[in-house]
Amino acid sequence: MTETIARVAPARVAPPRRRSRRGRVNPLTYVGLIAVSAFALLPILWGISTSFKSENAVLSDTGWIPRTFTLENYRLVLFQSKIPLYLLNTLIVAGLTVLCTIVVALFGAYAAARFRFRGRTTSLFLILMTSMIPGIAILVPLYFLAVKAGLYNSFAALVIVYTAWQIPTVIWMLKGFFESIPASLEEAGRVDGASHWRIMIQLIFPLATPGIAAASVIAFVYVWNDFLIASTMVSSDDLRLVSVGLYNFQSQYGVVWGQLMAAVVVTLIPIVLVFSVMERRIVAGLSAGATKG
Amino acid sequence: MAIDVHPHRTDEHRRAGSAPEPAPRPDRERSRRDRRQRRLHNPAGLAWSLLVPALIVVAVVSIFPIVYAVNLSVHSTHYLNIGAGVGFDNYARLFASPEGWAQIARSFAYVLISLAIVVPLSLGLAHLLNQPVKGRRVFRVLILLPWVISQTVAALLWKWLVNPDYGPLHSGDLKIDLLANPIGAMGVLIVVNVWISYPLATILSLAALQTIPAELREAAEVDGAGPFRRFLRVTLPLMKPTLFVVAIMLTLLYFNMVTLVYTLTGGGPLNGTNVLSLEAFKQSFQFFNVGVGAAYSVVLFVFNVIFGAAYIRLLRSEATND
Repeated sequence: MTETIARVAPARVAPPRRRSRRGRVNPLTYVGLIAVSAFALLPILWGISTSFKSENAVLSDTGWIPRTFTLENYRLVLFQSKIPLYLLNTLIVAGLTVLCTIVVALFGAYAAARFRFRGRTTSLFLILMTSMIPGIAILVPLYFLAVKAGLYNSFAALVIVYTAWQIPTVIWMLKGFFESIPASLEEAGRVDGASHWRIMIQLIFPLATPGIAAASVIAFVYVWNDFLIASTMVSSDDLRLVSVGLYNFQSQYGVVWGQLMAAVVVTLIPIVLVFSVMERRIVAGLSAGATKG
Repeated sequence: MAIDVHPHRTDEHRRAGSAPEPAPRPDRERSRRDRRQRRLHNPAGLAWSLLVPALIVVAVVSIFPIVYAVNLSVHSTHYLNIGAGVGFDNYARLFASPEGWAQIARSFAYVLISLAIVVPLSLGLAHLLNQPVKGRRVFRVLILLPWVISQTVAALLWKWLVNPDYGPLHSGDLKIDLLANPIGAMGVLIVVNVWISYPLATILSLAALQTIPAELREAAEVDGAGPFRRFLRVTLPLMKPTLFVVAIMLTLLYFNMVTLVYTLTGGGPLNGTNVLSLEAFKQSFQFFNVGVGAAYSVVLFVFNVIFGAAYIRLLRSEATND
C-alpha cells in the first residue's frame, strides 16, 4: 500500500513542475536567438551606418556608429538620382501583377477547390508543374516572344511573365483556403436563389480575404525583388525596376558606397514595413502551401 | 501535387471550419448531401471557364517557351537569328569541356554545402522560436527579415560588409579580400545564400513543429527521455517529411540561382563561382550565344525535372502514409 503511494506520488507532482519549466526558458535559447538575429541584421545595420556617413567618412571612419551624421546621401538619392522613378515603376508593375495574379488565380483556385469535372486533375497538375520550370531555362524564349509580340521594353511584358510565374503558387495557396470554407455556405446561397457567380463573388471571395492578402504580399515581394526578368525584358532607363536600378547604380558612378547604401535603405523601407505588419499572415500562407500534402 | 490524394480530407477541413453543429449526425448527413449537391449543380462549363485563363497564361509563358528552348538548343544561332540544325553541338560546349563539368561540380557543391548548413540551422531555429520566450514576435520578425531582401540587395550589402579596405571585418594590416580568391568567393557566396534562404526553411520547419502535439513530447519526457533523445526519437521522425520537402524546395532554389551569383561575384574570380545556372545566363545575355544558352537551359530543366519528380514521389508517399 505505502509502496504504491510512493510510486504514484512523483507522477502527481510532475505536472506542476513541467508547467513551471515550460514557463521558464533555457537562457541558452536567448543566446541562440540573439546570435541569429545578429547574423540577420549585421549587413543591414552596416549598410544603414554607411548611408549616414559622408563620402570621406566612409573611407576613414570604419566604426559602426558614424562620428558625424549626414543626410547628404539620402538627399542625393531621393532628389538627384532615378531611384524614386525606379521605385514608382516597381510599384506600378508589382501592383498590376498582384491584381492580375489574384483575379486569374482566384477563379482558377475556386474551380479547382469546389468543382469536380473531367480534366480537373490534369489541368491543375499542368499548372502546378510549371512552377518546376526554372525561370532561367525559359528566359531566352521569353525574350524572343516578347520581341516578336512587340512587347519588349514595356511593362506589359513584365506583368505577363510575373503573373504567369506567380499563378501556380497562388492557386495552390488559395485552393487550400477555399477548401477550409464550409460548402454549406454555398448551399445556403443557392437555396436563397443566388446564381453561381453571385455566390462566388459576393459570398465566398470576401471570406477568402486573409488568404488573398497573404498571396498578394508574396506576389508583391517576388516582383519587388526580381532581377532576372526585369533586366532582360526592359532596356530603357525610364522603365527600369528597382533591383536592376540598384545594380546599375554601383557601376554607373563607380562605387560610391554611401549613396549606394542610402539607395538600398530607401528601397528596403517599404518592403520591411509590409513584412513587419504582415509577418503572421505571410508565415501562415507560406506554410499552408508547403505542409498541405 | 494537386492530385486528389485525400478525398476525405477536404470534407474534414470543411467540417472543422464550419459553425458548431448541434449533433454529429446531421453534420455527417450534411456533408454527404453537399457532396451530392456539388455534383448536381456545378456545370463543367462554368468550372472550365474559370480555370481557362490560368491555363492559357501558363501555357504561353511557361510551357511553350520550354519547347522553344529545346528547339533553339539544337540550332545554330547568330544573335536573334536561328540558323541550321546542328544536332547536339551546343550541348557539346557543356559536356565536352572540362569547364562545363567544373560548372556542374560547382553547382552541386554550392547546393549541397548550402543545404548542409541551412537545413540543420532552420530546424534548430524553429525549435528556438517555438519556445515561449519573451519578445517572441520581435525575434520572429528580425530572424525572418532576410526573406524579404532581394538577392541583388543582399549581394550589395554583403559585398560592402566583407570589403577588405573599409568593411568592419578588416583587422589592422591584415587585409584579406575574400572575394579575390576562388575559394573565399565561394565561401562568401554560400554564406550570403544561407542568409537569404534560411528564413523560408525556418518558417516551414516551424509550421511543421507546431503540428506535433505537445502530449507526445510530454509522454516521452515522463518515460524518462532526455531532451536530445526526445528530439531524436519523437521530433525528428515526425518532422522528416517536411524536412524533405524543404530540402527539395531549397535544392531547386539554389540550383537555379542566377541573380545572387551574378550580382555578388559575376562567376569570378577565375570562374571560381561560375555555376551552371549563371553560365546559362551569361551565354545567352552576355555572349549572345543563344543556342548554347538554350542548351544550358535545357540541361538545367532536366535537373529540375529530376528534383521535381523526387518531390512529387515524396508527397505521394507521405500522403499514403497518413
